[in-house]
Amino acid sequence: MKFHWFAEVTYPKLPKDFVERGELNWVKPNPALFDPRQSGEMYRMFIRLMQGADRAGFDGLAVNEHHQGGFAMTPSPNLLAASLASSTENAAILVIGNSLALYNPPIRVAEEMAYLDCLSDGRVIAGFVFGTPMDSVFAYGNPPIEVRERFHEARNLILRSWQEQKPFAFNGKYTKLRYVDLLPRPVQKRPPVWVPGTGSVETWDLVIDESYCYGHLSFSGLYSAKPAVDAYWEYCDKSGGDMNPNRMAFTQIICCAETDAEAEARYYDAVKYFYRMNTVDPQFTSPPGYTTAKSMRAQKTYLTIGESKLTAEDKMRAARGEMSFWEYDEKGFIIAGSPERVRQRVRELATDLRIGQLIACCHVGDLAEEVAAENTRLMGEQVIPHLRDLWSEYPDHWTPETSQRRVAAISPGIATAPEFAK
Amino acid sequence: MTMTMSKVGSYDIRSWSGGSGAPLLYLHGFEQHPGDAPYLQKLAGKHSVIAPEHPGYGESTGIEDLQHILDVALHYRQLVEDWGQGPVDVIGHSLGGMFAAEFAAVSPHLVRKLVLVSPYGLWLDAEPAPDPFVLPPDAMAGAKWHDPASAAAETSAFTDDDKGEQAVFRMKNLGSATKFMWPIPDRGLGRRLPYIKAPTLVIRGEADGLVPDAYAQAFTAGIEGARSERIAAAGHLPMVEQEAAFLKVVEEFLA
Repeated sequence: MKFHWFAEVTYPKLPKDFVERGELNWVKPNPALFDPRQSGEMYRMFIRLMQGADRAGFDGLAVNEHHQGGFAMTPSPNLLAASLASSTENAAILVIGNSLALYNPPIRVAEEMAYLDCLSDGRVIAGFVFGTPMDSVFAYGNPPIEVRERFHEARNLILRSWQEQKPFAFNGKYTKLRYVDLLPRPVQKRPPVWVPGTGSVETWDLVIDESYCYGHLSFSGLYSAKPAVDAYWEYCDKSGGDMNPNRMAFTQIICCAETDAEAEARYYDAVKYFYRMNTVDPQFTSPPGYTTAKSMRAQKTYLTIGESKLTAEDKMRAARGEMSFWEYDEKGFIIAGSPERVRQRVRELATDLRIGQLIACCHVGDLAEEVAAENTRLMGEQVIPHLRDLWSEYPDHWTPETSQRRVAAISPGIATAPEFAK
Repeated sequence: MTMTMSKVGSYDIRSWSGGSGAPLLYLHGFEQHPGDAPYLQKLAGKHSVIAPEHPGYGESTGIEDLQHILDVALHYRQLVEDWGQGPVDVIGHSLGGMFAAEFAAVSPHLVRKLVLVSPYGLWLDAEPAPDPFVLPPDAMAGAKWHDPASAAAETSAFTDDDKGEQAVFRMKNLGSATKFMWPIPDRGLGRRLPYIKAPTLVIRGEADGLVPDAYAQAFTAGIEGARSERIAAAGHLPMVEQEAAFLKVVEEFLA
């Protein structure tokens, strides 16, 4: 299996009474609490950490897009990706992703991803996302009922603009362009496409029909995700879709240290910071029209399965920072401890959910840089090499050939995988 | 009132209709069609009433084809032309007020008199109206009603007991509303108000916390010859909270 280094770019210096004051950290943050110089220091830290992950043998460096929030201060993932594309050698540049409905015209995404693919010598993964309601419909003002339609129109335009060898006219509902003739063109003919979702059946149909990599990106872990991920694989199987686990990505917070006790001492505060400070007005989380009637009905059915392992109470306590460190671990929110423990639990998770692409969150909240760097090193040396065998019988068409080849040259364990044996 | 499903253009539209007299088109508000509401029945005592459901609401289709507000105005033009009664009186409430005003601006020859009740459709920077899509239930009740206990009197086109289906009904309705009200309920109507030629009455419940009084004033000022009425002890739905007072000003104006 493959490992992609990721962190929400979380502002680390919010006041201790942030939550008690009723401050919001998304859509309507209080700018007085954010020091731009501190933000700059934070950005430089994440670039250093991800450069380290590239050397440590990670398969990809993941960057994402969020707006008007201190929980993830990455308005354009392409900017961070550009810093990485020019200063790393091996890992894929996993842009997961551009919120397609927010770019007008969307060929901007096609251009920037092509630029990144040139700069990284063909290491880009093109993640296309709908964007959370907070991002796409509140911060950026799209009517919720239009987000899907805008996304698909943009997706078709972007893919076509990478492919066509002659100028073409594009007469969409939302985008009209008389002359589309993109430059630069990507090094990869068509970068691999990943589309994450949160359980909408329309997205399942899309990734199954187009053979994209699907992603379940949450920070609530195995038990929270299991009903939706199981339902997805069942749906995929019934629809005759490709059951290759390399077509599934999953986010998981990892807190690795030399010993279990050390892990608790080093990560507990940062984990609590991560979960507590993500304050969102609940009215912003499910605007009408963002989910279709079809998906509402489908979710009602499958989300009732497996609920008992993680209660609503658990989720609330996790968000309030009321769990002990090992409770966060036991309930699946984090995977923590010594390298032996982490690799065992990652294996269980990846096997249970049929995941070939783990997006490992190796930095959370206000974690110190040296702890995250150590996390990265331990993962690269003592966890990842022991898990390379998992799903190695399946081909991986969803990470770039260049990054696969270069990572194989530096990360132990991969060379034995059959896809590289030949 | 009789509920029917019929084609308007290529859309399936559910309507409640009844009564006899001069033709009256009633366009419902942003949350839902009120179904067989008492005030519609009473209007049907003096008028031939049609109260269609908006495309995308409840059982009615067509929202995916509507791109611009002009498409909505033409949809209602089609409905009135199919009706074949010549010019009609139009009452538009809330989002229905925005649609009614757009229809009247585009098709002045088809509108005899126009009543706008707490209409959306304008935006005033100096008096930003609350975002109706993010109000928590208590705040919504406070903004919508003079007396939140009035909620019990509100009728709905959805009459089933199924809670899940009720949530779907609401999500579809409000989702369709976002097409024209999100993020700001202004699709350029202000520029088109001068095209409205029908005598116009603007009604607002004095306790309406969703559409501030400045908006009623702006509509009245923007439509030549328009006048306004305030209804005391009523919020965003004066036809529910003060039915008699509402019907009185409407009937006097339409007479």
